Amino acid sequence: MGSRIGRRALLGVYTALVLIPLLVMFAGSFKTTSDLFSNPFSLPEEWQFGNYGEVLGSADMGTAFTNSALVTACSVTLTLLLASLAAYGLARIPGWPGWVLYGFLVLGMSVPAQANMIPQFVLFDVLGLTDSLAGLVLINIVSTLPVAVFILAGFMRTLPREIYEAAALDGVGPWRTYRSIALPLSLPSLAATAIFLLVIHWNELLYPLLFINDPDKRTLPLALLNFQGEFLTNYPLLFTGVVVASLPLVVGYIFLQRFFIAGMTAGSVKE
Amino acid sequence: MSAPSTVRTGPAPTPARGTSAGRPRKHRGWRQRFGHPAFYLFPLPALVVYVIFFAVPTVQAFQYAVTDWDGYSAGYRSVGLDNFEQLARGDDLFVNAMTNSLKFMLVVVVFQTLFSLVLASMLLRNSRSSTLLRAVFFLPTILSSVSVAFVWKFIYDPNFGLANSALKSVGLDSLTSSFLGDEGKAIYFLAITQVWFHTGQMMVIFIAGLQQIPRELYEAAAIDGVGRWQRFRHVTWPMIAPATGIVIAYTTIQSFKAFDLVLGLGGNPPQGSLDILSTRIYTSFADSRFGYAAAESIVFMAVIALVTLIQRRTVKLTQSGA
Amino acid sequence: MTEHSRPSGPSRRRLLRAAVAGGTVATAAACAGPGTTRGPRPGTGAPSDVPPPVSGRATDHISFAHWRAEDKKILGELIDDFTRRNPGSKVRQDISPAQDYQANALQRLKNGSIGDVLTAFRGAQFADMLKAGLFTELSAQTFADEYLPHYSRGGRDEAGRLFGLPYQLVFPMPLANRDLLEKAGYDKAPQNWDAYLDLCDKLKSRGKVPLAWPGAEPGNAGQLFNAMVMNNAPGDDACARIASGKAKVTDDWFLKVLDQYAQLRPFVQQKAGGTQVEPAQQMFAKGTAAMLATGSYHMAAVRQLGAKFPIELVPPITVDKGERPRYVGTHNATFILGVNAAGKHSTTALRFIEYLSDPAVAGRYANGTAQHLTVAGVTYKDKDLRDTQHWLERRTMLAPRYQIEDIDMLNAVEGACAKVLTGTSAGKAAEAAQRVVDQRRPG
Repeated sequence: MGSRIGRRALLGVYTALVLIPLLVMFAGSFKTTSDLFSNPFSLPEEWQFGNYGEVLGSADMGTAFTNSALVTACSVTLTLLLASLAAYGLARIPGWPGWVLYGFLVLGMSVPAQANMIPQFVLFDVLGLTDSLAGLVLINIVSTLPVAVFILAGFMRTLPREIYEAAALDGVGPWRTYRSIALPLSLPSLAATAIFLLVIHWNELLYPLLFINDPDKRTLPLALLNFQGEFLTNYPLLFTGVVVASLPLVVGYIFLQRFFIAGMTAGSVKE
Repeated sequence: MSAPSTVRTGPAPTPARGTSAGRPRKHRGWRQRFGHPAFYLFPLPALVVYVIFFAVPTVQAFQYAVTDWDGYSAGYRSVGLDNFEQLARGDDLFVNAMTNSLKFMLVVVVFQTLFSLVLASMLLRNSRSSTLLRAVFFLPTILSSVSVAFVWKFIYDPNFGLANSALKSVGLDSLTSSFLGDEGKAIYFLAITQVWFHTGQMMVIFIAGLQQIPRELYEAAAIDGVGRWQRFRHVTWPMIAPATGIVIAYTTIQSFKAFDLVLGLGGNPPQGSLDILSTRIYTSFADSRFGYAAAESIVFMAVIALVTLIQRRTVKLTQSGA
Repeated sequence: MTEHSRPSGPSRRRLLRAAVAGGTVATAAACAGPGTTRGPRPGTGAPSDVPPPVSGRATDHISFAHWRAEDKKILGELIDDFTRRNPGSKVRQDISPAQDYQANALQRLKNGSIGDVLTAFRGAQFADMLKAGLFTELSAQTFADEYLPHYSRGGRDEAGRLFGLPYQLVFPMPLANRDLLEKAGYDKAPQNWDAYLDLCDKLKSRGKVPLAWPGAEPGNAGQLFNAMVMNNAPGDDACARIASGKAKVTDDWFLKVLDQYAQLRPFVQQKAGGTQVEPAQQMFAKGTAAMLATGSYHMAAVRQLGAKFPIELVPPITVDKGERPRYVGTHNATFILGVNAAGKHSTTALRFIEYLSDPAVAGRYANGTAQHLTVAGVTYKDKDLRDTQHWLERRTMLAPRYQIEDIDMLNAVEGACAKVLTGTSAGKAAEAAQRVVDQRRPG
């Protein structure tokens, strides 16, 4: 009983800590700049709905929204596909070759983005992949493959070997084992990785900034930069943009969360 | 990727494994040691894309580590290992950034892992409230660093910030601080923001990990009448080893690469007390010292590799000692 | 300032020569009226290299690369007007955030994919981009005559040739609430250090924070450096000499600067080292603080936060009583407009800069963004701009902080000042800064 109260208290405190800054931001989107600066932690003096009109009404944001959705959807799907294939293969290659290939792929996580940015830009430019959404998808895939392989391989290694052995004994080939055994069993970790990728790709700023010139191909983070000046940042408008831009992620998260639940019913824990 | 060359001499691979009796012995040995050749086809697409668009450009970039290239001129000179020598011997700013990075990493890794594990295990049940709270805790992760930095500027403001007002209102005036202006502690306050920002993300990994624990293990433990802590120590902790490994390693890398947030809260370039390795490297790039920045990047990678390795060992020790 | 501490040496002479050369060019440019065909300037020796004055019509689609997101709207209006006057032309704004402008935009500028008209910050960035061959020479362009001659230095190379036109004029010195200063008995800004400290004292005794200083944000915290140095430095190139190793942070004159910073300790807000720029603006706008130690570029922001009082720029004058200050303030001419050498539409690009250089157009931009410009004959309608317009004519020093082109060195030197202001001893701070300067100097 005592522990239950403790649990509640802990969750309550943490919820407050998470929510306060979020509410500051949310309330901020309904404030004037001066109201936001003088009373950051209170409700708006006067509720301003104009920011939402401005953000939702601008054609730029609409285009950016569509582009972001398209690029993110393709990037997440393709990264997951490539990474889950790789993770499965690497988890099943025994001995050092598996580890060497894994290490080589995963090492990419520790490269600072600025380090290889210039050669990457030159390469993409030569191939005509700058200023194109396909190019953005490709660079997104490449830059997140390491982390996706890292997470998925970590989980796939833990799938019991006996399952694979049984499959082999039944004459099931590697491809079918991947498709009908490894993938379904990895659903929770696939969902977790998808959530990771979703957040990273949706918020990616560096590469669009570098690769995209055409206003028709701008993504949301680029569009949000319009509210961020050198000396004068329109924070209420920026927050509005952030709130609007975050909604699809919330929806995406809720959708993917189902797969956790699916994983649960597949049979595991009670507390 | 050169491995399959040995395979070509053998017969075409067949899916069935139980019929290996008729195979030449040599082939069977290879297969036992290196696995089914088809397994090597799985990572192939990823490897091709990764090599062309990531590994090669990275190697190209790292070649500049032994030059004095500024990042835009047509020409540059080779300077041998001078850049590395300067890093090792005479660069107060790099040493400062390294120290800050390690402090930052340590705090973030310990607390982010701890919080995300505790939250994940509390919210494992699929009750309506857990589902809701999981979503709430995940929210900070999806925000842009600019807005996170903005809000925390007002939390940390020494004169009318939320943190000092809260401390004063509960009579803890002695704990009020200039936060990011406190040279010795600024990096820890930055770490708090980082933990706030990313704990929800790691919680997701732990949830996925906890769900892969077979229920029978807990049932067995319940029959044996073990206590809560014992159950955690001997069942949960060893079973979530892969998730823990992922969370710790990823948190480490994320903390080393934290960048937007540091610039948002510490300025660009950030004040010395908030300068970490990633912002140091960025400043070198912005300062038109590409060659030097490339050398810094190599050291950066080496440090991450070393730290991750040490962590792996440590975590393994605690998990196997069950 | 004692005469013997004034350094003399080849570099100072060289700089002086360059300044004189620049002056002659400016004078020559001022004499040649608009419309005259220009020959090469005497002494450059490469007459055929200078692109001739723009001729032909603007009919292409160009990109204008800059970092001023807050100007997007007013620039959009001006661009519409330009397009109306030049049928067939089109101008697209490519905006990168200021902090990423160099790191990210440089590559794209280099291959000409953006920025037919490009911009650069004064100082290291302009120097780098010039070295990368990004700028087309503008020496022969007649529209360069529209600019106030003494503000073009930031757009010239070492030989005095004009490659860019600094467009915005900012005064990086503290803003003051004139009402509060008057109540403290200062109708006029203090003209020496004792008077400045006395002003601060009076403000403090009236319950005000004399000087709001955003100590947690080096870029803005460092602006105070300009005014603190302008009358203490033993020569106009003193900071450049620190960067090149000919002078040291531990030299007497700099220690004096640091001592004066230490004297300001009681007059900045509490725990000032942790204050970010937004809260500092807020203190000033609300009248809690009498002065804001950033620069004229924050006037618009402060107004947006609801400040109603009259604003004046009041830099600390660090000289002794009775001594005549060399400079009464500092300025920086930045947002350097140029034509991308890698761009394919230089005629339209030149026409666009010509358009922006028109005093009437410049006036619309100035009033729309609440900024002073280097274009001559601009009519300022904004009240703050009019109130502070007299600074355009006054003896101000080109902001000395940008003489230190290496970011790390600059941060170290300014950081020393900030640390002293928040409590570190001058000697200790100077030594740490000097170490970094030494480590950063090549060779």
